[in-house]
Amino acid sequence: MTGKPVKVKITYCAECGYEPQALDLTKALMYEFGAQLSAIELIPWESGTFDVSVDGGLVHSMKRDGGFPQHASVKSAVRSRLVSTPGV
Amino acid sequence: MTLDRAGWDKGITYEAFKAAMTRNQERFAENENRVALDPETIRTFKSLPKPLRVLALAEDWCGDVVANLPILGRLAKDVPTLDVRIFYRDQNLDLMERWLNQGKYQSIPVFVFFDENFRELGHWIERPASVTQRRAQERKKIFDAHPEFGSPDAPVDQLPEDVRTRLQAELQKMREGMVSFANAEVQRELRELVNKVAV
Repeated sequence: MTGKPVKVKITYCAECGYEPQALDLTKALMYEFGAQLSAIELIPWESGTFDVSVDGGLVHSMKRDGGFPQHASVKSAVRSRLVSTPGV
Repeated sequence: MTLDRAGWDKGITYEAFKAAMTRNQERFAENENRVALDPETIRTFKSLPKPLRVLALAEDWCGDVVANLPILGRLAKDVPTLDVRIFYRDQNLDLMERWLNQGKYQSIPVFVFFDENFRELGHWIERPASVTQRRAQERKKIFDAHPEFGSPDAPVDQLPEDVRTRLQAELQKMREGMVSFANAEVQRELRELVNKVAV
């Protein structure tokens, strides 16, 4: 995979104590993709949120999908994005 | 855990919980300082014929705990016949399972009232429904007044950072503006709860 680096945003409910899940996912993505990621943005939010987007596309929403995302499904979304956006 | 004398003593006091907080300690103290106990609340609890034990399930990272546990703490200071013990939710999931919100959510705080013999008299979970409802109404008003915030249901990470920051500030302001109402509603529900039970 040599696609254009991908940006991941993780929006988590800080009032609900979702930091461990956000950090676990961040760590998993960092180890898996390294410099293939342009950034991982962590957004503390409220209202039971746990959303993950990859280059602006929502790949997991706690409200929509329920629960926390499987790391494998987020990794798969990042891989797909890397394949679909060739590097320059 | 069996709730008997030995089980009860595994809980920590309100002061010990505050001292052990690793997060939100200042916010918690600030909330405690601005709790205005309604004289009716104090009268209701002081007029109970027998002492009450109050088990609280809590964690220091939870916003509703930081908002509502100080109300119970302040009340217990004024009403010596209330014996409050706090149990960490994540270390006491067997207790949590007994008082799930709507039978499925591990919402906290939970306040469970017992008589001296550990007979449960009633319980209270998370926050009053009236507060949740008012919050939703106020949230809607914010989005109605600020079309740039987009849809309340859209993921916030889609918003430009400066817009998201303004939304965050508006939501924070809204919550701050609701503190007196929320505190009064918590007290009203706790009064209603203890008024219903025969101690």
